[in-house]
Amino acid sequence: MNKRVANVLVFMLSIMLLAGCGQTPGTGQTDTGSAKNEVKSELIYASAKDINDMNPHLYTGSMPAQGMVYESLVENTVDGIKPLLAESWDIAGDGKTYTFHLRKGVKFHDGEPFNAEAVVQNITAVQSNAEKHSWIKLSAKIKSVEAVDEYTVKLTLSEPYYLALVELSMTRPYVFLSPKDFKDGRTKDGVNGYHGTGPYKLTEHKVDQYATFTANEDYWGGAPSIRQITAKVLPAGETTLLALQKGEVNFVFTDDRGADSIDVAAMRQLVDSGDYQLVRSAAMNTKMIVANSSKADSPASETAVREAFWHAIDRETISSVISDGTETAAFALFSSNVNYANVSLKERAYDVGKAGDLLESAGWKPGNDGGIRSKGGKPLSMKLYYDSNSSSQKIQAEFIQDAVKEVGMQLEIIGEESASIANRRATGDYDLLFNQTWGLAYDPQSTITAFTSESAYKHTTSGIAQKEELYSKINDVMVSTDEESRKVLYADIMRIVHDEAVFIPLTNGSVTVIAPKNLQGVSFKQTQYELPFEQMKF
Amino acid sequence: MGLYMVKKLILSIPLLFVISFLTFILINLSPMDPAEVVLRAQEVPQITEELIAQTREALGLNKPFLNQYTDWLLACLQLDFGDSYVTGESVWSLIGPAFLNTLKLTLVSSAAIIVLSIVLGVNCALREGTLVDQSIRGMSFLLTALPSYWLASIMIWYFSVKLDLLPTSGMESYASYILPVTVISVGYIGIYFRNVRSSMLNQLNEDYVLYGRASGLSEKKITLHILRNSLQVAVSIFCMSIPIILGSTVVIENVFAWPGLGRLSVKSILSRDFPIIQAYVLILAVAFVLFNTVSDIINAALNPKLRKEF
Repeated sequence: MNKRVANVLVFMLSIMLLAGCGQTPGTGQTDTGSAKNEVKSELIYASAKDINDMNPHLYTGSMPAQGMVYESLVENTVDGIKPLLAESWDIAGDGKTYTFHLRKGVKFHDGEPFNAEAVVQNITAVQSNAEKHSWIKLSAKIKSVEAVDEYTVKLTLSEPYYLALVELSMTRPYVFLSPKDFKDGRTKDGVNGYHGTGPYKLTEHKVDQYATFTANEDYWGGAPSIRQITAKVLPAGETTLLALQKGEVNFVFTDDRGADSIDVAAMRQLVDSGDYQLVRSAAMNTKMIVANSSKADSPASETAVREAFWHAIDRETISSVISDGTETAAFALFSSNVNYANVSLKERAYDVGKAGDLLESAGWKPGNDGGIRSKGGKPLSMKLYYDSNSSSQKIQAEFIQDAVKEVGMQLEIIGEESASIANRRATGDYDLLFNQTWGLAYDPQSTITAFTSESAYKHTTSGIAQKEELYSKINDVMVSTDEESRKVLYADIMRIVHDEAVFIPLTNGSVTVIAPKNLQGVSFKQTQYELPFEQMKF
Repeated sequence: MGLYMVKKLILSIPLLFVISFLTFILINLSPMDPAEVVLRAQEVPQITEELIAQTREALGLNKPFLNQYTDWLLACLQLDFGDSYVTGESVWSLIGPAFLNTLKLTLVSSAAIIVLSIVLGVNCALREGTLVDQSIRGMSFLLTALPSYWLASIMIWYFSVKLDLLPTSGMESYASYILPVTVISVGYIGIYFRNVRSSMLNQLNEDYVLYGRASGLSEKKITLHILRNSLQVAVSIFCMSIPIILGSTVVIENVFAWPGLGRLSVKSILSRDFPIIQAYVLILAVAFVLFNTVSDIINAALNPKLRKEF
């Protein structure tokens, strides 16, 4: 009898022992807990997600991380296109041939030389997977790429394309990976390593835990001052704030989906503590609500409903109260400092009465007790999806829910992961959802190209009356070689989507950085997806 | 006893087949075309009919349904769950480490739960109605009622930020276990120790206790007898708690940035990464069957009557 009891006890004991063994972590990791006191040349940033697959010719990797490791031929700056890995370039008279003169002495992180051959191999690898890059119009226009000599590359297009250099400057796919990392000369089925030419090397990656980037001592622009950057995965915003307070992480910025993991109040609290500074970029994008015009059974498919929704929102309050004055109210899809966007559009101010009138004349009658409107027995009820990782979107969603109730609309607000929101956008399974334009370097062309893209705004735009006209104008503007006609076409495009109110602007958003108080040189790029870490120093 | 174990284990095999088939069917009932899902998961900006056809071919989705199932099952038996739709890496290389991380957390928590539930349960039963019993029960009532998300944040704030004793998150040292294990255990202990306590109390009034006392057995021995008899219910509950915790750590993993199964599964569900979801469901189902069988075996070891009835 007692033996059996002993057996049970032994079993339990062994479970505990097993569990005890289970505690041993793989290797002795650096103790991030002491970051606050010791590390002075290291940044540890919190990120809701893992850096994922760093293959620069595909799209699942984290853009800020890819931006540290890889570089493109040219760079998009405030002052236009500037040299990066290409020191200079010539464009032939017919606009179809680009000759790039490469920077000499540049090496990939694995020691391989960066030369014309590497450029040819990379561009060929990207082109061999062209269907995945159809959002970049250049991918369909590259006819050939050849090495003229060791440091000269000739890129031939099938037709002149005014955005060729802009698209070559993007974070992906036209960036350069050491050809040694290719699998059978290709990159589309995975790669063997992540060696770029950028200021930081990826030195360690523990999936869903952290990734470490170390300064590239041989960087052609000089070794960066910040010696190490760690991307630490912290899925919950509450924990991020606590980790910042403790000093386990010391840097956080707006992620590539436009979400801030901590809210304005938390940011202020951190700044007030004296340990942190808050730096904001100039306005980079337009934060908006996207309406599904093609979902026939949804009220969002009606122009009047979308317009009423637009009128019902008080953007000034969102700007001054919710964003604490850090974002300005937006009244059009693109703010007027975006190329081609200085267009006069119909004004739609905050006007509850107007919203009510619009709904009234569209046949949406108030409910019995002045509640939810309905038409033909169908209630005026919609669903608004927001990114659950974004604290500001949640508050805005609640505010808007309350605001549209005033005009008799019922709004159900649902927070989901960004991947799920992207999936809804792609499949058309939504009435309304939060989104943002692609940012200065990409606007207006990429956002507008995305109007026709199945995975982006096809569902948003395909329900409107003038859709054929819209799509043909978008096609025309992308191949147009004449600046004047481009201006006219862009203006028409912007007017059509504005009149249809399918993109309902809220505020002009910026990229936010919370950094240690003594960190200098916190600045921004033209894209909202990367930061120039190499320019920062303590 | 050996025969009993073998029989029990053999009996669980058909169940596992049924589970595997259901898992496979349920995923295939999803209204989304897997080929399209793959392309979407890879964030391909523009999906064309050709791409979908190409992907279907590559994934073997053109084969008859039963062939697909047997291919999948045979591969699973060799721990080959296919490749992730999103990253293209093998599912095992993704789910393996995540499973191990969650298993570590689960085993440590279960050990804490079992030991503390028994210690508290026995003590409360022996001191029924006293201040000790009442205060422990009161405390447990309170702790069980706390949402784990809230408790986790408060504990990080107090122990990591205020007192600077423990890391806020991650799993980089032994100390990283303390907070998540505590938060997980608190809720379960509050429920389980009551089970131990009430079955102890039931046993206390049994005749054999009276006879034991009458024949002069020491109180310690009597307590051990009672404990053993009252553990039968508890053993089942404890054993089942392991797969339950295994499958319910997602909130804790999010708050503590624990790179485990819960986070992986939620991520996979949201990106419709079917091969990972399939493997996840299968692993959890196997864990439930396995621990259920283990609890039967332990109970049989404790109680010979169960073996004879079989």
